[in-house]
Amino acid sequence: MRISTQSFYGSALAAMLDQQAVLSRTQVQVATGKRVNTPADDPIAAVHILELERTQLETDQFGKNGEIVRSRLNLEEQALADAGTVLQRVRELALQAANTATMSDTDRRSVATEIVQRRQELADIANRQDAVGEYLFSGFSGLTKPFALSSTGSAVYAGDQGSRLLQVGASQRVADGHSGFDVFMQVSRGNGTFATGSAPTNSGTGVIDNGSVVNKAAWVPGDYSLTFVSSSNWQVVDAASAVVASGTYTAGTSIAFNGIQVTVAGSPAAGDRFAITGPSSEDIFTTLDTLASSLQQTAAAPADKARLQTALGGVLQQIDQGADHLLGIRAEVGSRLSMLDGAESMRENLKVDIAGSLANLRDLDYAEAMTRMNQQLVGLQAAQQSYIKIAQLSLFNYL
Amino acid sequence: MADFLATGVSGLLAFQRALDTTSHNIANVNTPGYSRQVAELTARQAEQHGSGWLGNGVEVNTVKRMYDDFMSSQARSSSSTFSQLDSYAAQVQRVNNLFGDSSTGLTASLQNFTNALQSVASSPTSIPARQTLLSQGQALVNRLKSYDSSLDSLDAQVNVQFEAEATTISTLATNIAKLNQEISTGYARSGQPPNDLLDQRDRLLDELSTHVNVSTVKQGDNSINVFIGNGQPLVVGKTASRLAAIPDSFDPTRKIISLQSPSSSVDVTDNLTGGTLGGTIDFRSQVLEPARNSLGKFSVGLAQVMNGQHAAGIDLQGNLGGDIFAVGAVAVQSSGRNTGTAALAVTRTGPGALTNADYLMTFTATGWTAQRADTGAAITLSGTGTLVDPFVGDGLSIVVSGIPQVGDRLKILPTANAVSGMSVLVTDPSEVAAAAPIVGSASGSNTGNGVITPGEVLDASNAQLRSSVTIRFLTASTYSVNGAGSFVYSGGGNIDINGWRVQVSGAPAVGDTFIVADNTAGAGDNRNAMRMTSVLSQPVFSNGTTSLNAAVGQFTSDIGVKTNQAQVGRDAQKVVRDENAAALESLSGVNLDEEAANLVRYQQAYQAMAQIIGVADKMFQTLLAVTRG
Repeated sequence: MRISTQSFYGSALAAMLDQQAVLSRTQVQVATGKRVNTPADDPIAAVHILELERTQLETDQFGKNGEIVRSRLNLEEQALADAGTVLQRVRELALQAANTATMSDTDRRSVATEIVQRRQELADIANRQDAVGEYLFSGFSGLTKPFALSSTGSAVYAGDQGSRLLQVGASQRVADGHSGFDVFMQVSRGNGTFATGSAPTNSGTGVIDNGSVVNKAAWVPGDYSLTFVSSSNWQVVDAASAVVASGTYTAGTSIAFNGIQVTVAGSPAAGDRFAITGPSSEDIFTTLDTLASSLQQTAAAPADKARLQTALGGVLQQIDQGADHLLGIRAEVGSRLSMLDGAESMRENLKVDIAGSLANLRDLDYAEAMTRMNQQLVGLQAAQQSYIKIAQLSLFNYL
Repeated sequence: MADFLATGVSGLLAFQRALDTTSHNIANVNTPGYSRQVAELTARQAEQHGSGWLGNGVEVNTVKRMYDDFMSSQARSSSSTFSQLDSYAAQVQRVNNLFGDSSTGLTASLQNFTNALQSVASSPTSIPARQTLLSQGQALVNRLKSYDSSLDSLDAQVNVQFEAEATTISTLATNIAKLNQEISTGYARSGQPPNDLLDQRDRLLDELSTHVNVSTVKQGDNSINVFIGNGQPLVVGKTASRLAAIPDSFDPTRKIISLQSPSSSVDVTDNLTGGTLGGTIDFRSQVLEPARNSLGKFSVGLAQVMNGQHAAGIDLQGNLGGDIFAVGAVAVQSSGRNTGTAALAVTRTGPGALTNADYLMTFTATGWTAQRADTGAAITLSGTGTLVDPFVGDGLSIVVSGIPQVGDRLKILPTANAVSGMSVLVTDPSEVAAAAPIVGSASGSNTGNGVITPGEVLDASNAQLRSSVTIRFLTASTYSVNGAGSFVYSGGGNIDINGWRVQVSGAPAVGDTFIVADNTAGAGDNRNAMRMTSVLSQPVFSNGTTSLNAAVGQFTSDIGVKTNQAQVGRDAQKVVRDENAAALESLSGVNLDEEAANLVRYQQAYQAMAQIIGVADKMFQTLLAVTRG
């Protein structure tokens, strides 16, 4: 085929320009370290890269969320531990005061004074705020002070029952706290099934224990009253005043009905009543208030002492219930913290995976790129040299 | 009688012509479009003698232009296609680069916004977190707007390019018409081809075909008629039409190409293919306008999803959330040729059915018809176009007003202006509705262990949404609502009242109550913020199959694939073009070595001819000497 002089020069030049373009593309890849610089370089990979980089950003955010949850749960854990310490101290004080033989009314009153202070301390713990001033135990109402102690002894809860869920993984949500309602307000009364107590009008020295459940299936929930019709005969009536059970009293022998049993010790007088109340809950502050007000009563007469003993028995049980309740919540906090650890290690694994995929999809294989670049350089040099050599040849040189 | 002196002279003249031609070739070795010329030598008419036919020497029959119409039309059409792909690829490449940077791209901006929303969900009472959310929302809007304005400036460049192309093509057409005239005159005058004029005309045709694909028809007088598009005549004989970039009748800022003749003006934009103009037209219709509509659709989806969920929450003041994002409305353009007064009020019904297309509404004798502006495909609309029963289709609701005339046309651009009208409407951080408007709670005196969820909003527009509702258990398995009715309780089942939903689980006792009430103090509530983060990842487009992020991915890969295809197509077409050009060049190009050889050849022949004249002279002298005696 004839080659025209112009097309010879033209195509040689075009070949060199092409070589240069290829070389410049490789050079950009080497300079940026990326194989895919624009979507056109590899459209499929480009979309994967977008998604992977998005997941990276998202995972970082979940990491931040996780740290926030962790710091809040740590604060809660600390508050719950402090509350447990207060209850432990109160329990010691109650035990000390329960020794009616050695404690005088004055001694008990001074114990009561400390318990009132401990109750305030507990309220302060329940009203604790985090670093930015949000209350730990007010549910969703983070800016509302949750607990106010009323003069009547009970606490008023102003928060709500919400608990905030935070996202710590693509499909993992963890609550960052408990509402004060769950923590301080909902302690089961008595042994969890029923609670016992004595009437303030009792004139005998009968002391009722906390009782126990014998046969859970036979238990009929409700309020009952154990009444001594005489000093030796008792009967149990339900809320509708129907007699459920009756019998002869022997001190220290258990009285059983509806699957439960209680034991009365001492000598109850005729007309003395003991209340057996069905399932309900009480807030911790009320329990402490009951303890303080019981200790403030004078207990000179044997009947007073008996009532005090019954009351203290009930309060001690209630304090234990409260401590168990707090422990249960702490265990939940602990399990959430361990969930956070799990989520964190999953995130770390995910990050490693993403980094690996990104390296495969986006990043340049330098060894391969440098080899390619050298080949292209050799190609360009050869094209330039051969062009110069061939361009020198012309028949006109010999005319 | 045969005269070898005359024969010698004929050779001298012929080889002189041949040498002229060769040197003309050498002189034009670098002239673009020049076709090699060859002096065609033929033997002169012989004379009859008694002894037979005696030759009379040589003459130059014609100076032939080495050219092939078929090869040149091949070369021209492949170069036209190459120019189209090259110009298209170069322009798509710019859009590709625009959306290429993943670290500052739309996906990253959207994720930063989502992350800011997560931060609000983590610390709903924190004003800085809310402020960051608003800033990230603004950053997302800014990102979209910067893309939109980049596309805008590309659009403006398309308009400028249309004008430049139209001027160039018109000038070329005028020059071709002029050459047509000169060529037919040249032929008429001598009967011989005016080779260099033909080269010039072919060169102009070559150049013209790099701007737009043309077809040519040779006429009897050797002029050439040039047609563009679907056979619209650009040059007929000695007269040329003009191409002009004129405003679209729907949108004066958008230019179209029209073929202007003294009697008419025809819109040929959609008929033109090939060349840089064809590439630019393709770029606008296949990349630029769909890209802008895609961005618009994304913004509409984002706004609709976020505003919808935001309205289902309450802010720090306890008010239901307002719109977070505003987007530009649907644009309606009526043709400047309309004779009626019809106007359309178009609203978007939802992002699910929205497309990237624009639509044309035409009033015919039988009523309104709708079609896609890009493909021309007919669209079925339900309804009658009145306020109570609007036309509905493809995510749009259309109400017609005014009196249309048959043939009136209106163009609907559902998403093109969405981004330019976009803004963040919430400016006060406390107005971010992170909380849910209701909260469920159990009564403190409940004796059972039933628990209630805080609840979620199903329908924020319910008038009773925030009214207090008491659920009281009548038995362990039935409950009343606000003291009325008896409903069967199933643990963990949904209880839907007044536009909200709660679940009660566990074993509530008789008389236990649960209250769902206004969430007045819920500053620390993050339920709605969490919902907002999750709706962002839910599919909203294409009838609920494509999420916002997936839409960005689709958009990016679409641009990437188009660019990649354009580059591959261009490179492939370059090979075809070069081959065709080389084939033509191998016929008509000048080779210096060949010309050098011809130079030697003709020079030798010329010298030989001169020798013959010398011999004739000697013979004549010999004869003279004899007769002189």
